[in-house]
Amino acid sequence: MSRLLLMICGVAFASVAMADVDFDTQIIPIFTKSGCNAGSCHGSALGRGGFRLSLWGGDANVDYRSVVREFEGRRVNLAHPEKSLVLLKPTEELDHEGGYRLRRGSEGAALLKKWLSEGARRIRSRRLVRLDVTPASQLMEKKGEQVALSSRALFDTGGSEDVTGWTVFQPDDGDAVYVNKKGVATVKRPGQHTVIARYLDRVVAIQLTVPLQSEPIIHSKVAHHNFIDTEVNTALERLRLEASPQSDDATFLRRVSLDLTGRLPTPEQIRTFVGDGRKDKRSRLIDNLLDGDSFIDFWTMKLAQLFQINSKKLQKEGALAFHSWLKQQLKKKTSMNQVVQLLLTATGDSYKNGSANFSRVGGGARPQAEYVSRVFMGVRLRCANCHNHPLDQWTQDDYHGFAAIFAKVKRGRMVEISNRGEVTHPYTGQPAVQRLPGKRFLADGEDGRMQVAKWLTDLANPYFARSMANRLWRSMMGRGLVEPVDDLRSTNPPTHPQLLDALTADFVKHDYDLRHTLRTIANSAAYQRSSLAANGNEVDQTFYSHAIVRSLDAEVIADALADATGIGQDFSGARPGTRAVQLFDPLTPSVALDVLGRCSREEPCESSMATTGVAQALHLINGTLINQKVASKDGALRKILSRPDREVVNELYLRALGRSALGKELKHWLSEVKSGNRREVFEDLFWSLLSSQQFMTNH
Amino acid sequence: MSSNIRCDGVFRREFLRVGGLTSLGFGLSDVFRTRANAATTKLSGAPNCILIWLDGGPSHLETFDLKPDAPSEVRGPFAPIKTNVPGVHISEWLPRTAKQMNRVALIRSMTSSLGEHNFASHYLLTGYKPTPALQYPGLGSMISHLRAGEHLLPPHVALARPNGMAGPGYLPDSASPFVIDGDPGKPDFSVRDLNPYQGVTMSRLKRRQRFRDVLDSFHRQVDQSRNEDAAFEQAYRLIMSPKAKDAFDLSKEPVAVRQKFGRHRLGQSCLLARRLIEAGAQFVTVTDRGWDTHENLFNRLKEGYTGGTAGKIPKLDTAYSALLGDLADRGLLGDTLVILMGEFGRTPKLNPRGGRDHWPRAFSVALAGGGVKGGQVIGRSDAHGESPADRAVSPGELVRTIYRLLGVNPDRELRTNDGRPVAVNNASGVVKELLA
Repeated sequence: MSRLLLMICGVAFASVAMADVDFDTQIIPIFTKSGCNAGSCHGSALGRGGFRLSLWGGDANVDYRSVVREFEGRRVNLAHPEKSLVLLKPTEELDHEGGYRLRRGSEGAALLKKWLSEGARRIRSRRLVRLDVTPASQLMEKKGEQVALSSRALFDTGGSEDVTGWTVFQPDDGDAVYVNKKGVATVKRPGQHTVIARYLDRVVAIQLTVPLQSEPIIHSKVAHHNFIDTEVNTALERLRLEASPQSDDATFLRRVSLDLTGRLPTPEQIRTFVGDGRKDKRSRLIDNLLDGDSFIDFWTMKLAQLFQINSKKLQKEGALAFHSWLKQQLKKKTSMNQVVQLLLTATGDSYKNGSANFSRVGGGARPQAEYVSRVFMGVRLRCANCHNHPLDQWTQDDYHGFAAIFAKVKRGRMVEISNRGEVTHPYTGQPAVQRLPGKRFLADGEDGRMQVAKWLTDLANPYFARSMANRLWRSMMGRGLVEPVDDLRSTNPPTHPQLLDALTADFVKHDYDLRHTLRTIANSAAYQRSSLAANGNEVDQTFYSHAIVRSLDAEVIADALADATGIGQDFSGARPGTRAVQLFDPLTPSVALDVLGRCSREEPCESSMATTGVAQALHLINGTLINQKVASKDGALRKILSRPDREVVNELYLRALGRSALGKELKHWLSEVKSGNRREVFEDLFWSLLSSQQFMTNH
Repeated sequence: MSSNIRCDGVFRREFLRVGGLTSLGFGLSDVFRTRANAATTKLSGAPNCILIWLDGGPSHLETFDLKPDAPSEVRGPFAPIKTNVPGVHISEWLPRTAKQMNRVALIRSMTSSLGEHNFASHYLLTGYKPTPALQYPGLGSMISHLRAGEHLLPPHVALARPNGMAGPGYLPDSASPFVIDGDPGKPDFSVRDLNPYQGVTMSRLKRRQRFRDVLDSFHRQVDQSRNEDAAFEQAYRLIMSPKAKDAFDLSKEPVAVRQKFGRHRLGQSCLLARRLIEAGAQFVTVTDRGWDTHENLFNRLKEGYTGGTAGKIPKLDTAYSALLGDLADRGLLGDTLVILMGEFGRTPKLNPRGGRDHWPRAFSVALAGGGVKGGQVIGRSDAHGESPADRAVSPGELVRTIYRLLGVNPDRELRTNDGRPVAVNNASGVVKELLA
């Protein structure tokens, strides 16, 4: 540690004594380090106290103008540098609402003064090329241990400099990691933690890990099926988390059927699968499920949720056309990158050409830009509407430039390209120039949407494939490698960075094939683990030591209730026999789906719903949803009621929970049957099974 | 676009989402996990609470902090009127409230740095600034958790789906409010599913309840990490009690009383809130949407729409004044804290669309009952309602004070389900004037 200190002082001395001070790379870091340009201070869109800096120093032009030029340069005093407001305020020699930010006589104060005495010029002597932060990742033995973080900047002049003292280290959980002024981090809680290092416009995530348990894990004992397990098991080993055993066949069958097709297995399927002696029966099952029509129905719904297909925005005709189009693509196995291209560039009558509806979902240029970035990039551009994104690289140029592309789309029933539409850049007051976010401005006359499509589906594009892989992972595993899935950014790193890279590369390599990636995940040992905690791994909700119990989509529950009871749910306006999963419009009236918490698709619904609550419980107890089906004369229960008690109990278990009743369960229910009206007791048992948490979740 | 939708387009199923918490590092399975820690029931004598949440951010300059001497682009067309507290003036569109001000403690120097709906709501409702590491519980969920027990009525009832930040946060899902989504202002309003399904007798209902417990206990033998099913237990208590069902029945109120509260959603929600508190609910959140007035502000606040008869403020005036008067008449006010607030105020300068944008630096909050001394104004904002001029109060301090008023020790430590200790509140001060 003392060495670290010496190093900082040494560098400090050098940089002050060096050549002229560079505003862009030496003064701005002082503002950032001292908190001057934070969002709650001068970095806010309106500035503070009449003084505005770009957020986190993202725009040196703005900052230089504000500090040196604004108000006839009242903030700098070149004749008496030490009397400059920019120095007197943060050191609180003058009253400062923001308080004491910069220690008098500190290195920062000295640099500021030197810069002022050199004429407060902007010499642009160098540009940052790279920021190296060490360690990138550190495994520690126990909590309380410390590690010195350091960062080194490489400039285009060839020189490199230790900038640890100018780097802001921000733990994402302040209760878990403490970083002191010198960059020494103390980990206060076990687990995997992130510290974000920020210097100028670069942001690097550092991972600090303290094992959750004390006993080392024997790697070779953990099941391993494919590359996914290599990464998942490595993390488990680092964290010393024991893995739960693989799930049994019936549990696996139920889980994978729900995940891939949104359906419960039938009693017949369960018996066949459990009785199948072949070694590769799980991967055969996965292939079969991926090949069926139920897969197409269910994943059309999943994509319809992602794309927010609803009749409110698109009218019934548009919603139906869009939905049918998506279904066709899944049927034809169109690759996802092609789907993106088709959606982004479609024109014409949206009631006939379903893909044209994509351009109508946002409802305006800016909302459409936000929608496209969320759906296809997994990022939230919205913040950059009013100011540069505080946690990411996005600027107002990116936001309004991206919106400018969609301003050229006429989005009535007929979707057409016009060359007239534009959006105003709030900062310049001029029409924003079309821009691929973070990439480049477009030339006049370039077809913006075409360029977006090309760019997103380019093999090297860092957003589309990655966000897609992350979403697919989440839908299978119950948690994204990055959470939330629409918030991919350098300051929100994945829990398993190499795994997300590998999964993305594999998705791209296999022609952006949805089914391929789902198959790969379903075949992994991580996916097939039991959801029951074992050997202390219940502390884990993040590293897949056991499967995560997940709530089911409202539509899936409604269909499962219909399948289990043999009584279908009718939906007004839909053909009899239509399953909830097949509905094209989430505004189709249905109390059942409302109570179960369906996604209205007016908003992204990618965070799971907790489908609990007193109101729902009341409906399950007293509403028609389960009651009517359980008691129906045409239902499954009535059909088997003539069989022996033992068979009836077992059949109800198979239908509701996807498994046979265990010995003691069977024994208990057989004695209950004798205690009352036989049919009513069975109805009541069936009701209890169907309202249980085991039924309502995927586990 | 409906005026109930906020500028960020959010009319999300926020509340439902918060229970999942997946975006914040907790798996969904925490829904089924054991209670975060042992809970205690209500201290005897601690008041109950009605929170009227004005979602979107009500303009302080049009309600409780008018600036008649400011230039026209700041002051707007509304004039202040006298109240029954000498020297205290509020909006001319709050005439009934003006007669209740002796019961109200008004804070005019609320201040925060968060001008985004979700962030600001989180701050006001939980007392903590938002962080990506942890979602904190809203006031109602905290009270519900700390006073958990076998209550007849759910300890926290929400009339209209509440703001997403009012949910249980890191607390177990059992701290979620019972949400009544229907509109009590409609003639056919009733709470759904309180009565048994045809053919299901009380004895079968009980048998089903027992069967479900048996299933649960079988399952618990394999999976010990599961939570008790608090929602079902609560639902059964509601169904089996005529008294509980009565509490939700507004037709039991005399017509004159219903009239007094105003025949609209906010008015009847406030009346229902009073009935629920009377019947034993501990915390009722009434959510009134539509205060995010970026455009056409005066019209929306005063008339509602062109040619309309009652906008946001007159409806609030009827409902709020009736609630305070009614609680006082029934001798319940001393035992019931009534909080009136939203997430921030609005920009002092009118924008070109005749609206005001978000302004967290200065805004007003009103508290009454629950032992609060009425007839006082705490703090003031500067000449244009831009910043606090003295006695700045942060949302953290306000929430800390509310916990003190409700008999909760704010320094009490709770644990998240991954074992992290978190204080109920970590602000440094309280608003002493409210506790006096």
